[in-house]
Amino acid sequence: MDDLLALDAVTMRFGGLTAVNGLSMGVTRGTIHALIGPNGAGKSTVFNCVSRIYRPTEGRIRFDGRDVTGLPAHAMAGLGIARTFQNLELFNELTVLENVMLGAYSRHETRLIERLWPRSPKTRAWAEEILEGTGLKDCRDAKANGLDFGRQKLLEVARALALSPTLLLLDEPAAGLRSREIERLDTILTGLNRERGITVLLVEHVMQLVMSISDRITVLSFGEKIAEGTPEAVRGDPRVIEAYLGTKQPGEAAHGEAAHG
Amino acid sequence: MNTEIVFLFLQQGIASGLVTGSVYALLALALVIVFRTTDVANFAEGEFYMAAAYLAFFLIALVGLPIWAAAPAMVVGIAVAAGLFQRVVLRRVAAARGVSVNLVIATLGLSYVLKGFVRATGFGDTPRSFPSVVPDGSVTLGQASLSYLDLAILGAALAVMAAFFAVFNLTRTGRAMRAVGMNRRAAQLVGINLGRTERLVWIFAGGISAVAAILIAPKLLMTAEMGGVVTLAFAAAIVGGFASLPGAVVGGFIIGIAENLVGLFVSTRAINVAPFVIIMLVLIFKPQGLFGGRLRVRKV
Amino acid sequence: MSVRVLAAVAVLLIGLSLALPALATGYVVYIGNLLLVFVVLSLGLHIVIGEAGQFSLAHAAFYGIGIYTAALSSKVLGLPFLAALLAGGLLAALCGLAIGILSLRMRDIYLALSTFAFGEAMQWVFLNWTPVTGGPNGLAIPPAQVLGQPILSDKAAFPIVAGVTLVVVALVAGLHASGLGRAFRAVRESEVAAAAVGIDVRRTKLLAFTLSAFLAGAAGGLFTTFSTFIHPDSLGFQTTILVLTMIVVGGVGSVTGALGGAIVFGLVSELLRQVPSYQEMIYGGILILVMMYAPRGVFTLVGRR
Repeated sequence: MDDLLALDAVTMRFGGLTAVNGLSMGVTRGTIHALIGPNGAGKSTVFNCVSRIYRPTEGRIRFDGRDVTGLPAHAMAGLGIARTFQNLELFNELTVLENVMLGAYSRHETRLIERLWPRSPKTRAWAEEILEGTGLKDCRDAKANGLDFGRQKLLEVARALALSPTLLLLDEPAAGLRSREIERLDTILTGLNRERGITVLLVEHVMQLVMSISDRITVLSFGEKIAEGTPEAVRGDPRVIEAYLGTKQPGEAAHGEAAHG
Repeated sequence: MNTEIVFLFLQQGIASGLVTGSVYALLALALVIVFRTTDVANFAEGEFYMAAAYLAFFLIALVGLPIWAAAPAMVVGIAVAAGLFQRVVLRRVAAARGVSVNLVIATLGLSYVLKGFVRATGFGDTPRSFPSVVPDGSVTLGQASLSYLDLAILGAALAVMAAFFAVFNLTRTGRAMRAVGMNRRAAQLVGINLGRTERLVWIFAGGISAVAAILIAPKLLMTAEMGGVVTLAFAAAIVGGFASLPGAVVGGFIIGIAENLVGLFVSTRAINVAPFVIIMLVLIFKPQGLFGGRLRVRKV
Repeated sequence: MSVRVLAAVAVLLIGLSLALPALATGYVVYIGNLLLVFVVLSLGLHIVIGEAGQFSLAHAAFYGIGIYTAALSSKVLGLPFLAALLAGGLLAALCGLAIGILSLRMRDIYLALSTFAFGEAMQWVFLNWTPVTGGPNGLAIPPAQVLGQPILSDKAAFPIVAGVTLVVVALVAGLHASGLGRAFRAVRESEVAAAAVGIDVRRTKLLAFTLSAFLAGAAGGLFTTFSTFIHPDSLGFQTTILVLTMIVVGGVGSVTGALGGAIVFGLVSELLRQVPSYQEMIYGGILILVMMYAPRGVFTLVGRR
């Protein structure tokens, strides 16, 4: 199988707490892959290991056949890995346009002269195109912290797309969104995946979205992989249902989360 | 310099260093508790200490209070003022634009207001001495000589530190302070009142600085510039890793001893560059400090 | 800063260069020169605090390094004005680079603390390294050499000071609009997100800090074109606070604010010289009040940004 991203026995410990324990998984090129599990299962930790915010205690991470375990966080963007953040990490006091232009920093604005020149027509045009595609064009001069929550979530995605990623890591992109916004996200993600061939790895609680767009799902519980397979296979897996018992059924979680927004 | 003198200087330097170091330790402790819980480097720390010394002086010389009444009144006064600063100013600054640069600028502002105020009273420019309650006289330890006052300073500072550590480790309030330092969001979720806890931290910091002032004031000449000692407290805190309370205490003693040794072996004038040199040495050889441990990772 | 504002600044500075030496008294021209030096200083501090959101408290020390380096390289080596100014800027930048490399490895606040301590240490060095700096006696600054001609008065210096200031304003405004400027602000707003879009956070902070030190040093070089004397007393923490107050009053993060703040507050500080004991209280009070009620600068209170 052609794995774009491969985790090999990744373990992450914080002091005495083991957040992720010996996780091995692969994300096939060109697929949408979801990482699900009850709260505290270690999903975000996996993300932070892949995007190098954390350095895994043990194990290797390979991207496009290359060992990236020792690279610094900022090197990942240059390789084509973009991410969004669960709790919004926007450049708050900057405009929507500037946020998206920054997304292009490491892939479209690489020459020194381009970075030092006071005008950036190429980057700007590219950012405008992304804004058009994500429907944020009409608020491009607003400050990021002035947007409503749904648009802020969308801006996170837009900034990640500006990087022209090969692999897109989405950390709960649908959390807190209204169902109409979720449908929109669904369309955008499916479109990106089909038309531009972007591989997507997402952590998500909103099962409606996960089940509809994922090609493959990995289920984590207490830092370990308990199931992996197609949405249908995972949905019927007794271990998965058990892991969610005592908290929420996967189906209920979808309604619970979606109702927040 | 023959070995005998070197040995004598070493003993005296360490003994005197423990005394001044105990005061730096208190100041560093005040800096670190504020930084741990509120993420603010308090540049007004030195001026809390300076204002405390002057407040005591005013209470004694102008109001006519006896020192046993003036000292506690002053400690309470400074602690309350520090709490008010958090309540009135910092809360408002955080609400207006909650970036840490702005909070630090506000503390710089406070340091200048306090300095200017003391100068404007007309007592700030001529150095003044502070009455001592401890009788004159000294004891000899090995070849080092310490005055009764020195012993009183060291003893009182250690007692205050012990009391603080007891509060911090054993009481509910102390646990709340530690929890906020570790993870604000989680602390809030388990029902800790963030604003109240931060205010208490500032009150503690003010109180500790005031105690430091009353202890050392009889040994120093008071000027409006005496808060400059905060550079040494910063160095002490950095030696300790800037987030560790025991680190701040040990750092304080190390800086005190280093300062006295530099004074005896090199020149008292070289003391001004000592904090910078020490900070750079720590950053080169032990950047996380002696007690720093792992850096806190922000949850995203 | 928009192109239009920049053009207005250019017209104003060129106009003043032509008119001021002819119309005004020597003292007024001296104040004009001094204000322009403050503009360069505050633009320097703006880069590290306003753009990159990092704290540098050694601005006065870098300024001092620039003054002594430019004065001495002109006196001892006979360097012409521009070379002396660049030498001052480069030495300041080098010192900044060394401190930054060490401090920026750790928590953010370490830069503030180590620059604070560096500022204290440098003032002591200026005061005690008597063979080089003249120590407490101060140092007489030789006339700057421009195209082989010595600059002997404030009036003769003004067009040069104005020209250099204009170049610095244009460069800083250009930086603000460039991709690098955006990267600085990205680091200020969110370090994790900056790293996620591929910005090397530590190097970017280091670059901002070093550039800031360079401009402070260059401001020192500029000072030597019209001033005849320097004393360590004017290179203490007070001067750092003065420049900080300028950018705070103008609005942290805004180029126009840093420029306006330097002019307005430079004049205020000149007036405050009459009442030295209240100076500190006023600076401190302004810092606190602006942070409480107008963190984006007092000009925004009037309405326009």
